Amino acid sequence: MDLTEKTVSELEAPVVDMDVDRSAVDSNIDKKYNRGRVHVHARAMMPEKQLFSYAEYRAQEAERIGYSQYSYWKSVWRNFLKKKAAVIMSLVFLALFLFTFVAGAIGKYDVYNLRIDNSLMFISPNSEFWFGTDNMGRDYWAQVWCATRTSIMLAVSVSLGQIALGVLIGLVWGYVRKLDSFFTNLYNLIDNVPTIIYMTLIALMLGKTTLIMGVAMIGFGWLATARNVRNLVFMYRDREYNLASRCLGTSIWRILARNIFPYLVSVIILRLALAIPGTIAYETTLTYLGLMDISTPSLGILLRNARSYFLDYPYLLIFPAAIVSIITITFYLVGNAFSDACDPRNHV
Amino acid sequence: MKKLLSLVLALAMVLSMAVVTTASAAEITDLRSYETTSREMETFNIHSSQLANDLNVLVNCIDGLLTNDAKGALIGNAAKEWSTPDGGKTWTFVLNDGMTWVDKDGNVKADVVAEDWLTGLEWVLNFAKNASSNTSMPMEMIAGAAEYYAYTKQLTEEQGEEAAKALTIADKFAEMVKVTAPDAKTITYECVDALTYFPSVATYNCLYPLSAKLIEEVGVDGYQGITWENLWYSGAYTITSYIHQNEKVLTANPNYWNADGVKRFNTVTIKMVEGGDVAYQLFQTGELDHVSLTQANLSTIYNSTSNEFHGNLVEARPTKYSYQIHLVYDKNNEDGTKDTNWNTAVANKNFRLAWYYGLDLTDYLARTNAINPQACQNYCYTGNAVAVNSQGVDYTQLVRDELGLQYDAEKYNRTDADKAAQYKAAAIEELTAKGVTFPVEIDYYIKGDSQVALDSAQTLKQIFSDCLGDDFVTLNILTYVSSQTNEVRKPQLASIYINGWGADFADPINFLGQETYGEDNAYYSMNYSMCNNATDEDLIATYKEFTRLTNEAKAITDDNDARYAAFAKAEAYFLQNALAIPCNYEVAWELTCINPYSKVYSAYGIQTYRYVNWETNDQIYTTDEVAALKAAYEAN
Amino acid sequence: MARYIFKRLLQSAVTILLVVTVVFLLLRLMPTDYYFTDEENIKLTDQQKLDRLQGAGLLDPPLTQLVRFYKQLFTEFDLGTSRRIQANQPVTKLIGDKAGVSMRLGLIALGISLVIGVVVGVLQARNKDGIIDHAGTAYTVFVNAVPSLVTYSLILAFGARVLGLPSMYSVRKPGPSAILPIICLSVGSIAGYMLWTRRYMVDELNKDYIRLAKLKGLSTSSVMYRHVLKNAFVPLAQYLPYSILLTVGGSLLVERFFSVPGLGPLLTDAIGRYDTNVVQGLVLLYATLGIIGVFLGDILMTLIDPRIRLTSKGGTR
Repeated sequence: MDLTEKTVSELEAPVVDMDVDRSAVDSNIDKKYNRGRVHVHARAMMPEKQLFSYAEYRAQEAERIGYSQYSYWKSVWRNFLKKKAAVIMSLVFLALFLFTFVAGAIGKYDVYNLRIDNSLMFISPNSEFWFGTDNMGRDYWAQVWCATRTSIMLAVSVSLGQIALGVLIGLVWGYVRKLDSFFTNLYNLIDNVPTIIYMTLIALMLGKTTLIMGVAMIGFGWLATARNVRNLVFMYRDREYNLASRCLGTSIWRILARNIFPYLVSVIILRLALAIPGTIAYETTLTYLGLMDISTPSLGILLRNARSYFLDYPYLLIFPAAIVSIITITFYLVGNAFSDACDPRNHV
Repeated sequence: MKKLLSLVLALAMVLSMAVVTTASAAEITDLRSYETTSREMETFNIHSSQLANDLNVLVNCIDGLLTNDAKGALIGNAAKEWSTPDGGKTWTFVLNDGMTWVDKDGNVKADVVAEDWLTGLEWVLNFAKNASSNTSMPMEMIAGAAEYYAYTKQLTEEQGEEAAKALTIADKFAEMVKVTAPDAKTITYECVDALTYFPSVATYNCLYPLSAKLIEEVGVDGYQGITWENLWYSGAYTITSYIHQNEKVLTANPNYWNADGVKRFNTVTIKMVEGGDVAYQLFQTGELDHVSLTQANLSTIYNSTSNEFHGNLVEARPTKYSYQIHLVYDKNNEDGTKDTNWNTAVANKNFRLAWYYGLDLTDYLARTNAINPQACQNYCYTGNAVAVNSQGVDYTQLVRDELGLQYDAEKYNRTDADKAAQYKAAAIEELTAKGVTFPVEIDYYIKGDSQVALDSAQTLKQIFSDCLGDDFVTLNILTYVSSQTNEVRKPQLASIYINGWGADFADPINFLGQETYGEDNAYYSMNYSMCNNATDEDLIATYKEFTRLTNEAKAITDDNDARYAAFAKAEAYFLQNALAIPCNYEVAWELTCINPYSKVYSAYGIQTYRYVNWETNDQIYTTDEVAALKAAYEAN
Repeated sequence: MARYIFKRLLQSAVTILLVVTVVFLLLRLMPTDYYFTDEENIKLTDQQKLDRLQGAGLLDPPLTQLVRFYKQLFTEFDLGTSRRIQANQPVTKLIGDKAGVSMRLGLIALGISLVIGVVVGVLQARNKDGIIDHAGTAYTVFVNAVPSLVTYSLILAFGARVLGLPSMYSVRKPGPSAILPIICLSVGSIAGYMLWTRRYMVDELNKDYIRLAKLKGLSTSSVMYRHVLKNAFVPLAQYLPYSILLTVGGSLLVERFFSVPGLGPLLTDAIGRYDTNVVQGLVLLYATLGIIGVFLGDILMTLIDPRIRLTSKGGTR
């Protein structure tokens, strides 16, 4: 749960930036042991007769071969589908994202041709303006959905970039001993300065177009993932089977990709799921600090602007805030469910 | 002793009750004001400060020679009288008696003497001491000032900072700069030329006093980084508490020389708030005595008759800034080549006049004043109340008479659809012949993180489209990151700028002098419009004619009425050729317990925030009350 | 151990110097015109600007400036003077004045969140899947779902309008005026402590030794507090010194919203005004606190849990 606070400032609640990998791995352990515990309790309550019974001989069963059609991703999928809440939320999110493309078309106003009309400002939601109007008398519906689309696309691409870069660096960092001190120093260099300083300098020197700021967010967002991955690689690198594999002449990349990477999938998925809402929140803060380009509406911009009006016109805050909340909760649930599902130890 | 005390107390009570009965309501004794955190003070050194944030406070702490009254007229402050024996070249100021420097607790440290003004000016002009802050006006106006600045700079380079820092008014300053203190109460300035407006410069912080004894006490480095705790005060208030980004308290100076002459608050508390919304919240809970309204608050209060403040909305007095749409006559493309399409188009008089007569800026004015946009209409280049002739007619009125335009509370007065259409047709015909392609692209730059600027720019774009037609011009909204100067102005990327200019002293030359052709200190010509690089013959001729008219007016120093009339002619010529297009004034809305018409009002300089002679009310003024106060003010 | 500590400290010092140097040089990459306000850019001639920069020593080659900076830092502990935050005031004084305010609020908020977070976390773990657990999870999700910008605005509006609490921090009367900022500071970290306490407790509860203890017949509360909580607290304790030290840094948004005169907004203000000396000073402070905090955390962990050895493991950070 290193979402909002971390993005506000790394300084406010450092505790929340502990290792998410633990939670991923641990939640699995948690579940397994829970099952075990239920059994213990159940057994303790049942009379002995029900606990033990004779197994009858069945010819068919005896003929069965101990072969299952196990497929990793199928199991992942099956396990994921068992989590009803997560499935529903991800459908909601998917619908939300697809709707952002439709919303502009079914709305009465086109976001790129909104007219400023002072006589229409601050109209509460009604049949003409479904989400009301803003301080300039512009339709809010069109802006909210356009902003949602922009923000989701930005968040997804930034998060994917962060995770990809983080995994790559983490793998190299963990596996190549010679580079350990280099990466550790690089990590310290970035991690020990409030990112806000780097972001401000970049914005001032290179500009603050969405592209530049997006790349900058990736450039400073890979740290946590990389450290996670590196620690996990450390754990698995010197396991006997890897040593054996290496002795047999398997290439490093193959070991990384086939032997180590699968252990990381659940962590990566969870990181990704948390990075998406995290990016949206970070964007909100950057917007508040004036470090984002504001020519296309994004949720961060709408939230920042609504701050001045929400006491009198709460709908200006409620719509974008609700959408941000839906996105966050979705990814929280989906991320947890999916990373559980990814863990082979949970597969039957 | 006790008896005496109680007697005095009783007397004081009777007296104060008498005051209460005469005034309609009780006045505020402790004012609670606010400022946004982005406008925190940066220095307590009034000589080096160039920021309103600092000066708004410091002007209460130190008395300059002159100040302004509620009408904007010059009145004495530290100086009781001032005169010129030779029509404006030499100016003599005579100081009041009994002025003292005190520390923050009001303990007397020294007397205020005429030499303090010399020490102050030496400080400003000394490169090693003040790093050239606030030097522009004295260097332009006072004989020998520029030379002294150059001397200190050279000395710094050759012999190091310490040598220049060690200079006092007894050294080179005395022989180089033509400022003298014949006795402890008299100061004489000799100007480079006959400058009739020089007294208005005496309200400015570049001519503020500095006690040599304070420098003795804290040293040169100490005064550069002076704090409120060791500053010496001679003004109506001392700073008794200062917490950066939180709160400052000004307390009435117990040893103020003019304690009987002016009405002061006991204390003035200035709270630093995050933004207008927090200020409004504080006002609602009764923690502030006035608040400027944000757009959202204003529209809520205005639109709801049941709102507790509905009857209290007050239109604030205009600020000193006059906003213009500055046209750029030498614009580049992003790749550094000349934007010939724009440059050719803008050099055409018909093209410019189509804008002048076509643009109905009402919606843009509504950005500053949503309820009464026409209060912001501006048809002149020079700001309001900068100069007033001997009949009491404001200079801008003279200009408007020349233009045949008047303010009209009901409608925007400059537009003329027929004329605009004619000029547009003529411009299209002439310019097409010169190879200009329509629509002409207008590049307009705003700061990239400012929602307010973006909203305004979009309003402007809509106005251009509605008033001039998409077949004629299109406005492109572009953004810069942090510095307009570096990112836009130096590479000359913008077609237009909308800038406000506030006067530094009371003369139209302060405005018109910025637009002249071929003069180095014409600020807008040199940095924004780049008219000196123009190649179009007609345009150059127009500019030269305007410059000639301006300089003619500038030369008239014996008769202010004639001077202003001549300036008005020059300005009208400038505007009728639409070399720049007047845009707006700033008039906001507020809720207040302070009579806005009792405050110091000045269209130039730094005196506006002096908390003296303010009339207040412990109840929030109603709209009607302020209307009555305004009527009384205007009748007076 | 002593050798390890010495080595770590040496490494930390190198890292801090590296961080400060990089930031120092980055700041020097910026065009010098940025040092002036727009107003100054309007009023000053190019020559005057050059004169000023020269006076402030900003025109020297960056490396000369860097050497001067370190020389002053090591000989006199002088970080230079501020240019525009508070003109010509020593940076050390500026930072010192503000750090105290931030730290006071931060420590109170940290204490509150630690107590509430750990207590609720323990309750959640004891009543796993019960009402308290779900309520706690719902709170955590909510706090994380709503951007803090919005949360703080809501707290500010609700506290000021409905409860009538002061919406501005007052240094002279900190009592009631500190309530809302402290609430804002705590909201997020309470969620953090709750989440992690619950997480570690549950992990711990599932371990074999706990099951053994239960089978042995120890009372639930004794198991909970003597074994589970103690062990679950180890990973939390690792971050305590870090959290405590970084309260000095304050919180950007909270301090801005409530006009708390702390360090939080200073960094962005200083960057925005190109006050390089202040930025350098703050970076030095933050880097030092961060690195020392992690270091102390590691030491603390070994003290609480003797099973943990730093020397064999090697520092991860």
